[in-house]
Amino acid sequence: MASPPTKYEGRIGGAVPRFSWGSSLAILIVVGLAGWSYYGTEFDIVDLLTNTEPATRFVSEMFPPDFSTATLQATGQGVLETFHMSFLGALIGAVVAFPLAALGTRGVDTVGASRTERVLRVVPYHVARFILNVFRSVPDILWALVFVVALGLGPFPGTLALAVHSAGVLGKLYSETLEAVPSRPVEALASTGADGFQSFLFGMLPQGMSNFTSLTLYMWECNIRSATILGFVGAGGIGQQILISMNLFDYSKVATLVGATVVVVLVVDRFSAAVRKRITD
Amino acid sequence: MTSSQRDNALEIRGVSVAFGKNLALDDVSLAVEPGERLAVIGTSGAGKSTLFRAITRDVGVSGEIRFGDRRIHTLSKRELREVRGSVGKIHQAYNLVPQLPAGVNAALGDVVNMGKLRTLHTFLAGPNTALAKTVEAAMERVGLAGMSSAKTSNLSGGQQQRVAVARLLVQRPGLILADEPFAAVDPVTTERVFDALLELNKDGASLLISLHDVELAKRFPRVVALKEGSVVYDGSPEHLTNEKLNDIYDGDMEARPKGKEPEEPGPDNFSGPDITRLKGQDGISAH
Repeated sequence: MASPPTKYEGRIGGAVPRFSWGSSLAILIVVGLAGWSYYGTEFDIVDLLTNTEPATRFVSEMFPPDFSTATLQATGQGVLETFHMSFLGALIGAVVAFPLAALGTRGVDTVGASRTERVLRVVPYHVARFILNVFRSVPDILWALVFVVALGLGPFPGTLALAVHSAGVLGKLYSETLEAVPSRPVEALASTGADGFQSFLFGMLPQGMSNFTSLTLYMWECNIRSATILGFVGAGGIGQQILISMNLFDYSKVATLVGATVVVVLVVDRFSAAVRKRITD
Repeated sequence: MTSSQRDNALEIRGVSVAFGKNLALDDVSLAVEPGERLAVIGTSGAGKSTLFRAITRDVGVSGEIRFGDRRIHTLSKRELREVRGSVGKIHQAYNLVPQLPAGVNAALGDVVNMGKLRTLHTFLAGPNTALAKTVEAAMERVGLAGMSSAKTSNLSGGQQQRVAVARLLVQRPGLILADEPFAAVDPVTTERVFDALLELNKDGASLLISLHDVELAKRFPRVVALKEGSVVYDGSPEHLTNEKLNDIYDGDMEARPKGKEPEEPGPDNFSGPDITRLKGQDGISAH
């Protein structure tokens, strides 16, 4: 407790912290960084509001959207491809992530373990964590570039890119889930003689399962959004169609494609959120 | 006395446990004969839970703990598992896996005897016929017949504690460590759990039970009191005078504030006022 006040001021104060040098400094830093970034990005709100001619031309040329059979067909194909890429990407990611997460999770029981035992336990942990970090820290669009160069254009390298990035993200989230499950049931199992594998199987896994499912669905949601962009580097999906139409100045077709993308993303979001709510409730 | 019984003798010699600077157990010595039953009393944080955790090597210690002729803290992993397999634990907070069926939680009493293959089989398809039979019998014994496939989290607190006892009945341990088993359950469950523990004790298992209820503790032939990590009383309940009890509970037996009521919504009127006064005060005992 801080030193007691000499006289009671009759104020309790609200939820916002009262003045302190620490919080003032924090505010100053935020303001400073914002200003710096403002100049660094050549941010110009006046330009945005006055120089409206290109934007209005672009928007007006989008309307009416192109609803010709050929465009609708291309859109449907693009949407379907995006859907397939995102789904398979999340699924493969989950399958790869799971064993890595299991290895990359700290066990409960180290009391009395010998030095060799500790080392034997620590090595796979760090290897798994390292692999997951590499998978995760490279953005999916960069993975897509790598796979497009290696495998050529199309949805296959895109799917691989999503799978690798998903594996990295899910692996980290899975192992965080496993480490956060209530430890006492797991300890109780270990102290009646369960080995590491048994404690994992009967203690950690059942407690983490609903979170795993929920996280994987969320990953699929994210993949749908990512998959729409991967086409820009030639890795399939609706993005590829959008890019081509953009380059051909076919803005009414772009409107249809973007509209379809928005609809698909919203539908998958809603569906996934509903399922996740059911699981976690 | 046969040698297999001798294996269950517990000897604690000069054991200390420190969590950082905080000494949770301070030079504790205690010998428990096979088949003996004794109650451990003391305030919250006196070291009761730590003592139990030390016995199964959930915490590191200085000093020596022997189970039979095996020194717990120097055993290899495999030997430690064997010893742990013959020590049954039951906790105030049940510590079951809430997502598993109750019957699987009970079946895990046999976890030490499951090889890799049977572990996988139990995980995927449930316990095999022989084990399932044992589990059913144990569940019936604790009054939960036909509840084996119910999800554990759907059971009430009292029922969960009975599943924990069913696990003990499946395990048939040589030593039982019961850590505040009645702190959060209703009177009926308390009776049932107590009966089952005594039955296991009669069959030869040693029973160490930590209790808040001093009156209940006095029903044990031997009472051990811990205070600030040290043994301050070890003997028959007859010599446990009010004066000594006042010392054990820092003289504020009467003044201790009423703790939070147990989670169990059931009635709280089990045999006399002492229990209601002392119950549920160890909600965060030294885990």
